[in-house]
Amino acid sequence: MSQYLTSNDIVKHFAGVTALSNGSLTAKSGEVVALIGANGSGKSTLCKIITGVVAPDDGQLLLNGTTISFSHPVEALKSGIAAVYQDLSLIPSLTVSQNIWLTREPMKGIFVNHREQRQRTQKLLDLFADTVRPSLTPNTLISELSPDERQIVEILKAISTEPHIMILDEATSSLDNRQVERLFSLISKWKKQDKAIIFISHRMAEVFKIADRITVLRNGKTVGDFESKMVKEKELISLMVENTKEHLEKVGETISKQLGETVLRVTDLRTQRLQGVNFEVKKGELLGIAGLQGHGQSDILNSVFGSIHFSGTIHFEGKNYQFKHTSESMEKDFALVPGDRAKEGLLMRSSIFENLLLPSWMKYGFPLNTRKAKKDALTTSQSIKIVMTGLNMPVSSLSGGNAQKVVIGKWLQRKPRILLLNDPTKGVDVGTKKEFYDLLKELCNTGISILFYSSDDEELVGLCDRVLVIRDGKIRTELPKSKLTLSSLITASVTSSEVHVHATN
Amino acid sequence: MQQIKNFLKKTFVFATVLFIIVILTNFLLQYTNLGPEKFSKRFMFLLDNNLRGFIPLILLSIAQAIVLINGSIDLSIGNLMGVVAAFLVTQYSQDDSIARFFQVFIMAIGLGILLGALNGIFVSLVRIPPFITTYATSYVFIGIAMWILPRPGGNMPKIVTSFYKSTRPLGLPMGVWIIVSLMILWLLLRNTRFGAQLIAIGGNEKAAFTSGVPVTRQRIIVHMLAGFIGAFAALALVLFTGSSDPRIGATMTLDSVVAVVLGGTPMSGGIGGVVGPIFGVMTLGFVRNIVGFANVNTWLQSLVDALIILISLASPSFIQLIHKQVRK
Repeated sequence: MSQYLTSNDIVKHFAGVTALSNGSLTAKSGEVVALIGANGSGKSTLCKIITGVVAPDDGQLLLNGTTISFSHPVEALKSGIAAVYQDLSLIPSLTVSQNIWLTREPMKGIFVNHREQRQRTQKLLDLFADTVRPSLTPNTLISELSPDERQIVEILKAISTEPHIMILDEATSSLDNRQVERLFSLISKWKKQDKAIIFISHRMAEVFKIADRITVLRNGKTVGDFESKMVKEKELISLMVENTKEHLEKVGETISKQLGETVLRVTDLRTQRLQGVNFEVKKGELLGIAGLQGHGQSDILNSVFGSIHFSGTIHFEGKNYQFKHTSESMEKDFALVPGDRAKEGLLMRSSIFENLLLPSWMKYGFPLNTRKAKKDALTTSQSIKIVMTGLNMPVSSLSGGNAQKVVIGKWLQRKPRILLLNDPTKGVDVGTKKEFYDLLKELCNTGISILFYSSDDEELVGLCDRVLVIRDGKIRTELPKSKLTLSSLITASVTSSEVHVHATN
Repeated sequence: MQQIKNFLKKTFVFATVLFIIVILTNFLLQYTNLGPEKFSKRFMFLLDNNLRGFIPLILLSIAQAIVLINGSIDLSIGNLMGVVAAFLVTQYSQDDSIARFFQVFIMAIGLGILLGALNGIFVSLVRIPPFITTYATSYVFIGIAMWILPRPGGNMPKIVTSFYKSTRPLGLPMGVWIIVSLMILWLLLRNTRFGAQLIAIGGNEKAAFTSGVPVTRQRIIVHMLAGFIGAFAALALVLFTGSSDPRIGATMTLDSVVAVVLGGTPMSGGIGGVVGPIFGVMTLGFVRNIVGFANVNTWLQSLVDALIILISLASPSFIQLIHKQVRK
C-alpha cells in the first residue's frame, strides 16, 4: 500500500518557547527521508507531533491526502505510524517481550498468551542476532540490558506494530557499528516493502549512507529539502548552523604540542567489567578512550573518580589513592562529566546558577556570599558560551548542548586538574560540538589532563593526543597520534570485537 | 561463603526468618493456654482464629499492594473500609435472611467502588498527587463513617456470622481458603491485559503512555479495584467482630503499607505481588500477638512491635554497612 505523509507549517510552543514555527516534512513509501538539524531545532518535537505524543498548536498533518490529528500515540499506531523514541519508552521492571507487546499482547481468551508472546519476541530478536549478547532473551528484564540493547528492543517494539511509516529518532546514537549496519540492512528491506522511513541522526555519514532525501530544520523551521545525491555535507551543515560555518573544517585538524610529565598512572584497574587496565596520562594530555559500547569504558572513568567500587591503584602526583567517595577525588581536583547528563549531571528543574555552583558552595563561606557566586557563575557561563536567557532559568529550558556546557561549567568552577568525560557530545548539535572541542583544547593547553570517552570515533580521531581502544574490559590497542586515523580506530575496535564479542558477561 | 553473604543481603531472608520465629513463638504461647485437647484440634483452632483476625488487614494490604505496584498510594484505604463496615452493621439486623445479606453486601461493594473511584478521579483526572488526595479523602471517609455510625455498635445477621465462624471446608480454616483464592485471583489478574498494564504504569508512567496504555483510565480503575477489595475487607472485619467502630480503619492504613513493604514490595511501583503482603500481615499480626502475650504495658506495645519491624526491615542494610566498615 502506498503511503504519503505530509506535515505542513506545524507550530508548537512550550511554555513560551517556540519549538516549531514552520515544520514541514514529507515521507513517501519506499523512501528514506533524513531529518537533520542542530539540537533544539525541533526534530523531536516534529516527530512527537506526527505520532500524537504532543498536540500541535497550528498547522496541518496529511496522511494520503486526508487531514489527520492524533491525540494519543495509539491513534498514530492504528494509522500505521510507529516511532523509535530518543527518550526510551521502555519499562525497566518488565521483560523484553512484555515491553514489546505492551497493549498488543497475543491473547488466549482474557489471558495473555505468554508462549506465543515469547515466540514472537524471539523472532524479532533474531533480526539482530549476533550483534547482541546471547543473554538477551525474551524473558530478560529491561533493567538488565545495556543501552545499546535497550535501543534495539525499542526498535523491535516499533517493528512489531508492522507500521507503514517508521520514525527513527536518533536510533543509532547508542548502537555500535555492527548494530548500525544491521539496522541499515533492515531499513533497506523495509524500503523494498514500500514502507516510508523518517530517519533522524546527528551523524552525517549515516545520513548520507541511508537517506534518499534530506530535510533540514533550523530553529523550528524547515529550511531545506534535498535529494541526498544532489547535496554536499558542507552545504547541509552550513544550513543547519548558520554562523558556525567557518569552524567546521577544523574538526579533523591535528594539533602538535608539548606534553608535560606523567600526572596520573592507573595500574591493574578491575571492576565487574574491567579486567586489569593500565595506563598513564600526561599533564595537558587529551587521552581518548574508544571501543564498542558497553565494554567497560564508563567503568574506567567512574573508578578513577571513585563513584564505583574497584580494585587497583591510582597514582596521582606522587601518591597512591583509592577513592571510596567522590568527595575524596574532588578534593584532589578530579572532575567527572557523567554519561547521562539529565540523570547524573544536572538538577533539571533547578536554575543554571544553582547547577553551576553545586560542587563549589563550600568556597563561599557562611552565610553564602551569593553575590560573588553569581559573579563567578556569570564569568564561567560566558567563558564557555552558554546560550541562555538568564542564570535563573531552569536547566530544563536549555538545549542538549547547552545543558552539557553547564555540566562542564560546574566543574570548571572548581578548577579541575583531571577532567573525566563520559561521552559528552552524545545528542549535541554540530555547532555546539565545535565550541566544545575548542574548549577541550583550551583546557589542555592550560595544563588540565583530560580522559575522554566518546562513542563518536571521528571526534576521538580529530581531538585526541592518544587513544586507548577497549574491548572486553582490557586495553587491546593503543593508538598514538601518528597512527590515529578513523580507519585504524574502527579497525581496532571492530575487528577485535568480531572474534570475542560474546566473551563478555 | 560469598553466596551466603549475598543471600544475607536480601530483604526477604530476614522477613522469612522473622516470620518463622514469630509464628513458632506465637503458637507455643497460645498452645499452652488451650487446655488438654488433641494436638491437631488445638493447632487448627489457633490457625483458624489467628487467620480470621488477619483477613481484613490481608485484604487491605493486597489493595494497597495493587495501588503501590501501579505507582500510586492509597492512604484512605483503612477509612474506606471503615465507611463500608459502618454501612454494613447499620443496614443489617441480627435475624436477616441470606438473601437480605447479599442484597446489602452488593450495595456495600458498590459503595466501596464509588469511594475508590473518588480517589481515582482526583488522582488521575484532576492530577492531585495520590499522597495528598488520599490523605484528604481519608478524613472525608472517617467523617462519612461517623455520620453513618456515630458510636461503636451495629448488628450482623446471625446466620452469616455463625457460618463464617464454624465452616471449615475440607477441614481447613476459612482463612486458608481465602488466602489461597486471593493468590489465584492475583495470578489470573496479572495475566490479563489490564494486569500487565497496571504493572507497566507503575514501572514507568510516561513510557506506558507512549506505548499506548490508557494510563488515566487504568489508574482510576486501580483505585476502584482497591475500593472493591476494601469492601470485602469490611465484610471480613464485621464478620469477625460482629459490630463496628467508625474509627476502626484509621490505624490499618499505615499497617497495610508496612505489611506490603515488610513483604518485600518496594513503594516505588512496577514490581510486587500479593504473596509478600500476605506474609507481611501475618508477621505483623504474630509480632503483635506475642507482644500482647508478654504482658507488656499497652502503651509500650506499639513501640515494641514497631521496633521489631524496623529492625527486620533495616537488617540487610545494616549488615552491608558493617561489612563495608570491616573491609576498610
